[in-house]
Amino acid sequence: MAKIDLSNISHSYNPNDLNPVYALNPFSMTWENGNRYAILGPSGCGKTTMLNIVSGLVRPSAGRILFDDKDVTDLKTEDRNIAQVFQFPVIYNTMTVYENLAFPLKCRDFSKNKIDERVNSVAETLNLQSFLNSPARKLTADQKQLISLGRGLVREDVAAILMDEPLTVIDPDLKFRLRRNLKEINEQYKTTLVYVTHDQNEAMTFADNIIVMSEGEVVQTGSPKELFERPNTTFVGYFIGSPAMNLFESEVSSNNSVKIDNILIKTQTNLSNLKTKNIKLGIRSEFIKIAQNQNENLVDVNVEKVEDLGNYKLITAKMGNFTIKSKVNRETEIPNQKVKLHIPAEKCCVYEDNKLI
Amino acid sequence: MDKLYIFLKYFFIVVWTVFVVAPFLWALTTSFKDFQSVNGGVTYIPWVDFEPNLEGWKVLIKSPAKGGVDIIEPYFNSMFVTCTASLISIILGTLSAYALSRYTFKAGFVKNNDITFFFISQRIMPPIVLSIPFFLFLSSINLLDSLTGLIVVYIVLLMPIAVWIMVDFFNKVPREIDETALIDGCNPYQAFLKVVLPNSIPGLIVAGMFCIIFGWIDFFFAFILTFTEVQLLPVKIVALNSSVTPWWSLSASALVSVAPLIIVAFIVERYLSKGNLSGAIK
Repeated sequence: MAKIDLSNISHSYNPNDLNPVYALNPFSMTWENGNRYAILGPSGCGKTTMLNIVSGLVRPSAGRILFDDKDVTDLKTEDRNIAQVFQFPVIYNTMTVYENLAFPLKCRDFSKNKIDERVNSVAETLNLQSFLNSPARKLTADQKQLISLGRGLVREDVAAILMDEPLTVIDPDLKFRLRRNLKEINEQYKTTLVYVTHDQNEAMTFADNIIVMSEGEVVQTGSPKELFERPNTTFVGYFIGSPAMNLFESEVSSNNSVKIDNILIKTQTNLSNLKTKNIKLGIRSEFIKIAQNQNENLVDVNVEKVEDLGNYKLITAKMGNFTIKSKVNRETEIPNQKVKLHIPAEKCCVYEDNKLI
Repeated sequence: MDKLYIFLKYFFIVVWTVFVVAPFLWALTTSFKDFQSVNGGVTYIPWVDFEPNLEGWKVLIKSPAKGGVDIIEPYFNSMFVTCTASLISIILGTLSAYALSRYTFKAGFVKNNDITFFFISQRIMPPIVLSIPFFLFLSSINLLDSLTGLIVVYIVLLMPIAVWIMVDFFNKVPREIDETALIDGCNPYQAFLKVVLPNSIPGLIVAGMFCIIFGWIDFFFAFILTFTEVQLLPVKIVALNSSVTPWWSLSASALVSVAPLIIVAFIVERYLSKGNLSGAIK
């Protein structure tokens, strides 16, 4: 277990070319001991590169990595005491399940008794006891992935467990249980867990800190609530949440209000020092409700369609030229085509050049 | 339709089997014949067409002083040279193949694929091109007409086969396996020996089989690079021939020389089927 500092890390896979392409732009970050982190972003945004840099499989083009303030940038993978689980199960085909789980401890010369104790305890957590003596290659894909996971958990002193979309091959039911297991393990052993995914639900339910990445850039780091309510950029607003955040091209109208197609919307953001007048207003569809007795920030919309999505209804409507989406309770009656919606000022986010003001 | 398919299937299997087995049967019966039974007209069935005898086989183990040809020593020479050269080729070939599969090499315009091709290109050349350089080389280090000299030459010939097969095999073993082993605490050598190599046993067996076959059947280099001190089996068998062709002992020695390969084929047959090869990887 360790605190992990990434200081000014950047990486290019062709650093000697005239125009190197950076898979990871310079960033700094600290992963506190015992926390759960999720790295979230679309495919090819540099998530896996970041993990490989931490585990030592990739040496960063620039920057330092510190485990508990000790520089490990030049330390080899095998000396870093990191566990990593890949997207597809990697097992040692020629060994039994027991030998697979014991392998990391054997490589580090643990005593036989200690190995036995740890393997049995991990097997119990992962429900693998009954398979311990079977050849690992005979197991199903999700059981194999459990073995990969188990090899990560078997070392108690591991600095962090890095997981690269580990639950992709596992069926939904087990996925849910495993995520909970991982949380429990984290709480019990205080192991730092880092979880790479492109599935926002997975990230939101698993992590207490989410790192959102896009095109080699760390765009925002924060708790699920922060990311949801105050996305730093329009990308985060768009990427997180389902449906994506409502974003409207708008103009500054006064110190704290904007105009969307001549509709005045009040916000709680100070808009007096802006360089441009053209900005974007973002609001989550969860916060937009059918107006009851509010008297400001009301917009008239034409309902285009209402989808019943089980536990909520999603209204898609036209507000002038813009499309607006609102999530309402399932029981809410939607009167007729014309509806008044309320946009709460405290939930409005204003973006200048796609960055939150 | 089904019946026709089954008929045709078995028809071709039978034809092919006859095609493959007939020469062996022919050699087997001939090995028990004498001069009269071979040259006196067509004979097929022992005890009916001709009276079988063991002369053809006895000659092979009798010492030359007693009129025999004694293929036992050449037999063991061949075995020793083939096995030693194959073993060394597999060890060196596997190590180079692993390096070529996992690490990036670059010297000017020469990259990994070019190095692999360089190995294979050694086998593209006609052997005759290599014969004079090999002869001069072995004579300069005093290894002409010796087992060691032959082993050196055979390693040169067999290692490309091992490299070629193993590079392809290692490329199919996911890199994550090595990476996981490193993360689990192995150094790169342990990762190779404890994790990658056990996963590659089918590849090793196939490569080993090819090395053994190509080593065992080589006549050309054994003929050119040895004279009196050392003889390998193929050379000895050809030397059996004389003004009167001894078909019986030639047949017997041919059978004896093919026997080890048949045993090898039976052992590795299950690894050659596609299912087993791919099953070992994923």
